[in-house]
This record gives sequence, structure tokens and C-alpha cells, in this order.
Amino acid sequence: MRLSLVAAISHGRVFRRLGRGPRSRLDLLRNLVTALVRHERIEAPWARADEMRGYAERLIDYAKRGDTDERAMRMADFWLTEKDLIHKLFKVLAPRFQPHPGSYTRMLHIPNRDNLDRAKMAVIELKGNPFPPLIRPRRDSEKTLLNQLLKGYREDAQRAAGP
Amino acid sequence: MAAACGGMLLRAARPALSARWFSSSMCRMSSDGEPTKFQPPPKPVIIDKQKQREERRFLSPEFIPPRGRTDPLKFYMERKDMIQRRKVFNIPEFYVGSILAVTTADPYADGKTNRFVGICIQRGGRGLGATFVLRNVIEDQGVEICYELYSPRIQEITVLKLEKRLDDNLTYLRDALPEYSTFDINMKPVSHLDHEEIPVNKLQVRMKPKPWSKRWERPKYNIKGIKFELPEKKMKEAQKWKQPWLEFDMLREYDTSKIEEKIWREVSEELNK
Repeated sequence: MRLSLVAAISHGRVFRRLGRGPRSRLDLLRNLVTALVRHERIEAPWARADEMRGYAERLIDYAKRGDTDERAMRMADFWLTEKDLIHKLFKVLAPRFQPHPGSYTRMLHIPNRDNLDRAKMAVIELKGNPFPPLIRPRRDSEKTLLNQLLKGYREDAQRAAGP
Repeated sequence: MAAACGGMLLRAARPALSARWFSSSMCRMSSDGEPTKFQPPPKPVIIDKQKQREERRFLSPEFIPPRGRTDPLKFYMERKDMIQRRKVFNIPEFYVGSILAVTTADPYADGKTNRFVGICIQRGGRGLGATFVLRNVIEDQGVEICYELYSPRIQEITVLKLEKRLDDNLTYLRDALPEYSTFDINMKPVSHLDHEEIPVNKLQVRMKPKPWSKRWERPKYNIKGIKFELPEKKMKEAQKWKQPWLEFDMLREYDTSKIEEKIWREVSEELNK
């Protein structure tokens, strides 16, 4: 009987295996989180950005508790390797996301990396960042069939409600 | 004793110490020289036991659903069945470390019932399959029985002593000296008032010599209830397996406070109907 069945089957496992081990995985994600807090928009391999997303959002949830909270300060101290970013986290990012209940980041695909590895890349950004938007959601033109029908329905409703 | 008291009183009657035996108000007059106001006695503090009982909520751990991708409907249906069983049969509040007596139906025993007394080592499982393991040492043989809380074979669960221990999991009692796991099967129930807090037994258990079934000194078990008598070198070596990054891994945390609130309200409503 194979003794390491546990290692072979990964049903229900939620964490990816990055880097050289669990410690290395957390260090990698920590670097990415620090970079995200510093630059507010970074490119990274898709798998790492996906893992990092959960940690970044939980970090902002902790920061929302306020910097007087002992546990929040310890978490920020561990997760941000550059200590000037702790101030930015508590004073700039936490008030910015105070009205939102969740989902503070946006992750979008990018063409594969130009190196030999052709890795699947993603760009991850905090919402409300000062850069120009990555995608402009374009609304359908007014001449499409659905929009014309909706326009007609709206006008009918107005005429019925008006006089 | 009376003679000594009498002797003390006689000594106090001397003029130098006579002021001590006057009443307190007269003392104040002599020091201040002004008449002092009447100080009413302090108001009695009324401990509202009903409110304290309500404030202390206990939700049995098997009601809290584990984190996963299962449909909440499954947990809802299980909870309905658990509440139904609890309406018919009383499952008391108990923790790991409390001493319980359980009577089950046994077709092959005298009187068709089987009574076992033991200390609760661990409580596992969620939903209807929730279990608890009782341990006792009977005639120098350690015995552990795992009972299912909602099994229809169980006829009675009595809590003989309600208390908590320093750990959530007392499986290390298997490697501890047998005196820590022996409990008298005819012990009388220790009374526990409803409004009092659960006492925490800070007992530190002494172990048999190594080898143990698990390396309890390692930080992953995080055991506080053992008095380790190992040399310093071994304790330092065990700290090598410490994973200090684990406490900062935010995605591993499972915050159950909101879920507990909801379930507590649901369960108490149903049970009080």
C-alpha cells in the first residue's frame, strides 16, 4: 500500500503549492502583497496572483479594524516587508475601502510572458487606484434590436404614466 | 482557647488600647471633633441569576458546519433532525475534560443496559454523526469507548463533573500515568450551579517514560496540560518543528462567530417551543 496517498490525491485542497515549501510559498505571496500595496497595480503569473488575491483582501479587512488593534498591527507587520507601507495601509487604503464590504481587487488576464516559459500572466490591481482604467466597459449602441425594444417599452410606460 | 481570648480582652482593657474597643462613630468624633453624618450601609448587589444564565450561551460544537463546498441545505436538514432528537432526549452541556456516565442499550448485558463512566477525551464529527470518546481505567486496563451523541441506543447521559481542561484534546492521557485516567464508576455527581462559569482545571499531567504514541512535546500539538520532564536539549530540538508562519496564514482562519449566532438563535427558538 502506498503510504503517501495523502500527498498524491489532492481532492478538496484549496492552497496551491508554490515555491520551495509552505514557508517559501508564504514568502513569495508576501512579496507580491507588498508590491501590490506599494504600486497598486502589478503583473504576475496568474497562479501567484490568484493565491495572493485572497491574502490581500483579508489584509485589507484586518486593516479596516484600525491600527489600534494589536492583532491587525501584527498581521500588517508580517505581511508588509517595507514598513512605510503599514502607514499607507492603515491611513490610505483602509478609509478608501471602508464603504465596500469586500472585493477590493480586480484581476485580469494578459498575453503570455515573452520568455521561453510563455507563462500565463495576470494583472492585479486595487480598485480606486490613480492609474487610467485597464478596460473600458463599452455599452452596446442604441441601434441594437434589444436596446430599441427596451427604448420602446420605456417610452410606452412613460406615456401611460404621464397623462 | 477561651482563656486566651479572655486574656486578650483583659489586656485590651488597659487604658492605652481602650480606644480600639469603642464603636467606629465615636472614634471619628474623637479624631475630627465634628459630628459625622450617618453613612447608610452599602446597597446589596443582586446577582440576577436568570440573566446570567441567559448570557452564558453554549452551542454544542457539532452544530457548527465545517468550511467546505457542501450545500447548506444538508446542514439545515441535519440540524432539524438533531433538534428533534434533543427534544426527546436530553443531551447535557459538557466539554472535553468533564466526567460523564453513559447508559446504552445492550442486548447481551444483564438488565439490557450498560453503564460506563469516564472522562471525555475528544469530541469529533459534525451533525448527526457527532461522537465523544470516554476514557477510564478499569482493573488496570485502560478502556476508551467512542459514543455517538445522537445514537438511539444511548438511554441516558449524566454529567458527573462539569469542567474544562487546558487542552481541546486529551488523547495524551493514553501516555500519561494511569492515575490521571482512573475515575470511580460509582462516583457521586458534583453539583454545578447554572449561573456559575465553567471551572478550568489547570492540572498538569505527568507522563510515562518515552516512547509515546505521539511526540506530544512538538509545537504542532500545542499541549499545555503536560508537565514535561524531558531534558532541555529535547525540548529545544522539538522547537525545530515550529512553524511560526502558520499563525499569520490568514486564509486558514475560520471565523465562526456570525454562523454561531445564527445557529444559536435557530436552535434555542426550536428547543424552547
